[in-house]
Amino acid sequence: MKQSAVDAVIRGLKRAGVSIVCYLPDSLFKELYPALDADPDIRTIRVTNEGEGAAICGGVFLSGKRAALIMENSGLRASVEPLARMGLGAGIPVVMLMSYRGDMGENNWWAVPHGITMEPVLNALRVPYVVEREEDKIEQAIFDAYELAYSSYYHTAVALSGSIVR
Amino acid sequence: MKRFDCMTALAKHLKDELVILSLGASVDEWYNAAPHMREASLFQQQLGCVTPQAFGLAAGLPDRRIVSLDTDGGMMFNLGILATLGNEQPKNLFVVVWDNECYQSIGGPPTHTASGRVDIAAIARGAGVEKAFTARTVEEFEAHCTAGLAADEPYVVVAKVAGTVQPDIKRKHSDGREDKYIFVRHVEETEGIVIMGPSEHN
Repeated sequence: MKQSAVDAVIRGLKRAGVSIVCYLPDSLFKELYPALDADPDIRTIRVTNEGEGAAICGGVFLSGKRAALIMENSGLRASVEPLARMGLGAGIPVVMLMSYRGDMGENNWWAVPHGITMEPVLNALRVPYVVEREEDKIEQAIFDAYELAYSSYYHTAVALSGSIVR
Repeated sequence: MKRFDCMTALAKHLKDELVILSLGASVDEWYNAAPHMREASLFQQQLGCVTPQAFGLAAGLPDRRIVSLDTDGGMMFNLGILATLGNEQPKNLFVVVWDNECYQSIGGPPTHTASGRVDIAAIARGAGVEKAFTARTVEEFEAHCTAGLAADEPYVVVAKVAGTVQPDIKRKHSDGREDKYIFVRHVEETEGIVIMGPSEHN
């Protein structure tokens, strides 16, 4: 990611009121994670798997603070059980920011499943999402994801792809 | 050692704390053992998510004591949270693991701890949670409650309890959504904050 895209993500998170980020690092967002760690206004929590991160974010919601779950889109699959239970069973929202592995332009065979499964899994969970491929859309997309999550008390997701992450 | 007796012992020590608890018969037992904590307790239905959610709550409310009432099945489902607690060292999180060595709510097939070889407290210590203990009597358990509720580091007590359920327990009638609203409104009132606020006029 370019520094300007990293800055846009952090601007969006701050504008949405996020103060805690749970993440499991990946390669496409690799410049984002240390920037989040270094930001004095954001507490980062590194997790052992994305499902754990989703559950921690759910707990943060209950505290009145705002959290983000940041991960590669493969992490969505690891999060499905807690997302389904929290979102559909209790109305506890988690906002996700994902790198879109397996999109057009993917050059790794192992990432192909992530592209094939991401949108069907989001649709199966009825999670509203946007895919952004232009840097100037990032900040508003993140802000909007929180607006909807806190109106619906359900999960939302932003996937970043294209030149933003390559 | 009966879980209900442990809950009764723990309940005496709780007043302003917030509790996240696991699924199964322990939910109704808890609401009967600690009726004064009803609004301050949130039942979560998924294995592996109780202590992570309690930790998220603890991270968001660092000045409030948070109690996680987890289970052996739930903790085995996501042992990674112990490593996260070991690294993050929350100062306000007390974790109880009801270890009855079985999946009680579906009739009692054994969990991994039933073999006698798997020791959750030892796993927790290995994950960096230094204050992690096993209790086998109600007296031991209550002593750990006193210490764990006053600790300024993560504290785990694994309570080795019988696989029985307290008879004649009153069942709760609320679902996950109603429970969430009850809990959130309690947090809002006691913290003086807004979590689920009004809609916009536009």
